[in-house]
Amino acid sequence: MSILEVNHIEKHFGATQVLNDISFSLEKGQALSIIGSSGSGKTTLLRCLNFLEKPNGGTISVNGNVIFDAADPATQNEKEIRKKRLHFGLVFQNFNLFPQYTALQNVTLARELLAKERDSESREAIEAAGRELLAQMGLADRAGHYPHQLSGGQQQRVAIARALALHPDILCFDEPTSALDPELTGEVLRVIRELAEQNTTMIIVTHEMAFARDVADQVIFMDGGVIVEQGDPRDVIDHPREERTRQFLARYSEN
Amino acid sequence: MLLNVTLSLLEGFGTTLKLFFLTLVFSLPLGLLISFGTMSRITPLRGLIKTVVWVVRGSPLLLQILIIFYGPGLLFDLPLLPRFTAALLSFVINYSCYFSEIYRGGIQSVPKGQSEAGEVLGMTKSQIFFKVTLLQVIKRIVPPMGNEFITLVKDTALVRVIAVYEIIWMGESYIKKGMIWPLFYTAVFYLAFNGILTLLFGWLEKKLNYFR
Ligand SMILES: Nc1ncnc2c1ncn2[C@@H]1O[C@H](COP(=O)(O)OP(=O)(O)OP(=O)(O)O)[C@@H](O)[C@H]1O
Ligand SMILES: [Mg+2]
Repeated sequence: MSILEVNHIEKHFGATQVLNDISFSLEKGQALSIIGSSGSGKTTLLRCLNFLEKPNGGTISVNGNVIFDAADPATQNEKEIRKKRLHFGLVFQNFNLFPQYTALQNVTLARELLAKERDSESREAIEAAGRELLAQMGLADRAGHYPHQLSGGQQQRVAIARALALHPDILCFDEPTSALDPELTGEVLRVIRELAEQNTTMIIVTHEMAFARDVADQVIFMDGGVIVEQGDPRDVIDHPREERTRQFLARYSEN
Repeated sequence: MLLNVTLSLLEGFGTTLKLFFLTLVFSLPLGLLISFGTMSRITPLRGLIKTVVWVVRGSPLLLQILIIFYGPGLLFDLPLLPRFTAALLSFVINYSCYFSEIYRGGIQSVPKGQSEAGEVLGMTKSQIFFKVTLLQVIKRIVPPMGNEFITLVKDTALVRVIAVYEIIWMGESYIKKGMIWPLFYTAVFYLAFNGILTLLFGWLEKKLNYFR
């Protein structure tokens, strides 16, 4: 059984159709890369998975349970959504770290708030886990720094640790390196690569074609709100079948 | 003589301070409520509250004091409000509208990504407001609030038009006795108090400087 199944997702803003009949599935431990030109709907798709946007049609299932069904209001209850979105984590293009908290506090805040409600973990345990995550990101010595004291690459790695702290089933990345100076992309890509090696289930929207090919088990190429082509990265990126995919990739290899 | 003048000015300044602090106590929370109204998704409510804010901010405070003091009696034959209550009411209405605009600016200047990051991490709306947004809003509104507080201190002098005996009224009463210096002396009180406020806000701004 797939860990994630997305079926016939539709999304429009007013009269603009942004996602059109999007369906795909993802196996546990696998990484999916989504590529496509600007405005093709990649961010909107991730936002739908994280309940930041509400699809107008379609269903989303995690571990075989339908967690969202546009036709069934019972799946859209506000309180339930709060719990359901914890199946997913999201790393934003521009990090969105909380500026008034240190790196460590950024990582632990949400888990502490959850623990308070459920009376589950101790503060110390959460903090230790947070430190461990930062160490895994290569930021052990930056735990006490505030976001504005960190480089973009370091901020993005804190954001990844923050998302991992809640143990999401599926971690989503929205162009995690495109707000970074070129010399800083490497450290972030390296961390994501390590996560892939540890079989973290991930969806990565990226413009780094070489990275997508190396890391992903599956690639989706989107254009104009539809999935044009999907499959093994060596097929989609190296031997695309569709003309539109070829044109898109050609533009990339040019610049 | 100096002692006598000082004591009577202090009495007037007591009224000034009482008006200052009571205005803040009521208009700081009321302003927040109004700011939520001006950001409401319910269009008629938002329109109504924005209009009220526009009228209150667009007309002189002096006029509002006069209307609130004399209006009820002349228009509806109601008894006059006590002078200080009428003064306080006008100040609360006026300043909560000013504060609401400062709050709105502060709240809207926090990037949307902040609350979205909170949402994605499973926080509730109130957790997001109190744990993520609030301190960032406070940081942004401290400088404009500082200005508004100092303006408020000086605006309190307006209530003399309905014969509330604040400090300038007291100082002016010495003119009849041929003394001008008590009037200059009142300025010392304002300057000292505004000096304290300036220091306080400077300290607060510095305190919040640990993040961007
Ligand atoms: N809130 C919104 N309201 C109206 N239109 C929107 C909204 N969000 C996105 N869109 C539109 O939806 C389309 C897809 O946007 P989206 O951000 O998902 O594209 P993208 O593939 O992520 O692009 P990029 O590579 O530039 O990040 C665009 O045409 C965009 O203008
Ligand atoms: Mg995007």
